[in-house]
Amino acid sequence: MSAAVGVPGSRTVSRIRPRLRRRETGLLVLVGVILVLGSVSLGATQRQLAGQAVTWLPADTGQLVIYLGALVAAHLALVLAGRRSDQVLLPTIGLLGGISLLLMERLPQSLVTQSLAGRSFGLASIQLGWLVLAIAVITIAAIAVRSDAWLRRYKYTWAAAGIVLLLLTFLIGNEVNGALLTITVGPISGQPTELIKVILVIFLAGYLSDFRPLLVGASMRLGPLRLPPVPYLLPMFAMWAMALGIVVIQRDLGAALLFFAVFLALVYIATARASYVVLGLILFVVGSFIAYQLFGTVRDRVDIWLNPFVDASGKGYQVIQSLYAFGRGGIIGTGLGAGLPLVAGRLPIPAIHTDFPFAALGEELGLIGVVAILGLYLVVIERGLRIAASAADDFRALLAAGLTLVVGVQAFIIAAGNLKLIPLTGVTLPFISYGGSSLLANGVVVGLLLALSDRGVEPPPPPRPSRARRPGFLGGRPGGGR
Amino acid sequence: MDPYVVAIWIIRIAFLGGLYLFMFGVARLLLRDLRVATRDPGMALARLVVVASDVTEPPRGTVFGLDAVATIGRDVNNSIVVEDDFASTEHAALTFRGRAWYVEDLGSTNGTYVNGQRVDGLSAVSYGDELQVGRVRFRFERSRR
Repeated sequence: MSAAVGVPGSRTVSRIRPRLRRRETGLLVLVGVILVLGSVSLGATQRQLAGQAVTWLPADTGQLVIYLGALVAAHLALVLAGRRSDQVLLPTIGLLGGISLLLMERLPQSLVTQSLAGRSFGLASIQLGWLVLAIAVITIAAIAVRSDAWLRRYKYTWAAAGIVLLLLTFLIGNEVNGALLTITVGPISGQPTELIKVILVIFLAGYLSDFRPLLVGASMRLGPLRLPPVPYLLPMFAMWAMALGIVVIQRDLGAALLFFAVFLALVYIATARASYVVLGLILFVVGSFIAYQLFGTVRDRVDIWLNPFVDASGKGYQVIQSLYAFGRGGIIGTGLGAGLPLVAGRLPIPAIHTDFPFAALGEELGLIGVVAILGLYLVVIERGLRIAASAADDFRALLAAGLTLVVGVQAFIIAAGNLKLIPLTGVTLPFISYGGSSLLANGVVVGLLLALSDRGVEPPPPPRPSRARRPGFLGGRPGGGR
Repeated sequence: MDPYVVAIWIIRIAFLGGLYLFMFGVARLLLRDLRVATRDPGMALARLVVVASDVTEPPRGTVFGLDAVATIGRDVNNSIVVEDDFASTEHAALTFRGRAWYVEDLGSTNGTYVNGQRVDGLSAVSYGDELQVGRVRFRFERSRR
């Protein structure tokens, strides 16, 4: 039986009233304890290895205090703003970021150095700065985003912005390890693909929520497959072409794989039709085959994946060292700070802070630690999909699901690449890898998820306002009808 | 045994244990949420929110939970009663059929509108769409959990 189940308050702006977030407080306290324990373990090990007197102090008290302070500040801001948003995401991200900070404190600080205002900063200090900025981005997005109209109205503008960014990367990108990844504008350089992935999800959510009835309804038979008519298939081919373009021009396999996987997952979520996924997988296989045949980079990656020991001191070197690292780690790991002896004064894995943090954690925290970290990503995915499932309309559901998948799939791609389950592709491990672009883009993702999960957020605007022609009442006949 | 080795061992295990304790805490919150969700018996499949109304019943802001079949009209036997002279006795029906929701105009005099367009027969609606019956406008929403 349907019945009136409640009357929500009027839509006038109510006074901001602080609201306690007990679950978040509890989990954050736990995060603080875990990070202090990790830091003490790292500090004691490092001092012992350096031959200093062993003290039971954190590795770098100042950095730990700044990081935990940022988390507490974010928590307080959410409490004071009175948001009723998800309470698990912030502590989970906080824990992942804290592990990242411990890892960066542990690696040689000379991997990345930057001087600012006459002082020079090492790897951990820079990463700490980016982490604090990312937490700030999460908090600001979670509090400031009160309506999603600016996201759903301008979906084609967003798409255009994404394409412009992509073309810019093609044209003026700098090469990193054989892939066009970064754009440098003046003193700032960044990886646009990290931002493009967010824009892609916003566009896809808008597009799919608008055309969902058409995609579900119409069909055309092609052998055993029921496909929609050709015009509705065009986006799929466009997306496929874009992914191939990224592989060909940018030689960035990871981004291409991520974009296409998220696209397919979102199409499936929107339509619940397996035929799209089958078609997408066929396109994927065809595209991969063509790329393997034509491009040396792709062939190298696949060959390394199949057998890295063919060229153990050359192309297969990093992957083999990564496997060794997991092997040295064993079940419970060597302990933070105790792994990775320098080989001939050099790190065995040069890109350890960006592409192989999962291997470094595998060595120092072991199987148990790595499973826990994968578990943390699962927590993020669970919260995100829950937010999607309880969203008020299709756009928000698709947006939340897409944002979640972008983080989850990316973590899977790089973790599996480190473990040699799939060919290695150079994407970052979200919230753990070193790098500002990655941290900030993923901060935007989590901030939007928090904003979408807020129960007090503005109701969705009426769909397609341009076409909505309000029917007048003048033509109607009162008392009419059967 | 060297006390340093023992102490560092304990701290390392405590760190790893803490990670699992965190996961355990999250899992407990999840279970609690799920229990609350299952304890709520009248879980509606979707809901209709009245966004504008020129009549006294239903007033603006009313929320109707929807079952798999819900009918709208002036007659008291409808699941959603619209007391409006411009609505027919049996005006429209909303049905959930496997994957999608459909609205069907039951031959009303003044028509049923989805996003401002009059619908004939069966037509698919998605969450966020606006329905108009008589002088009452509804927004069709996913049910909140």
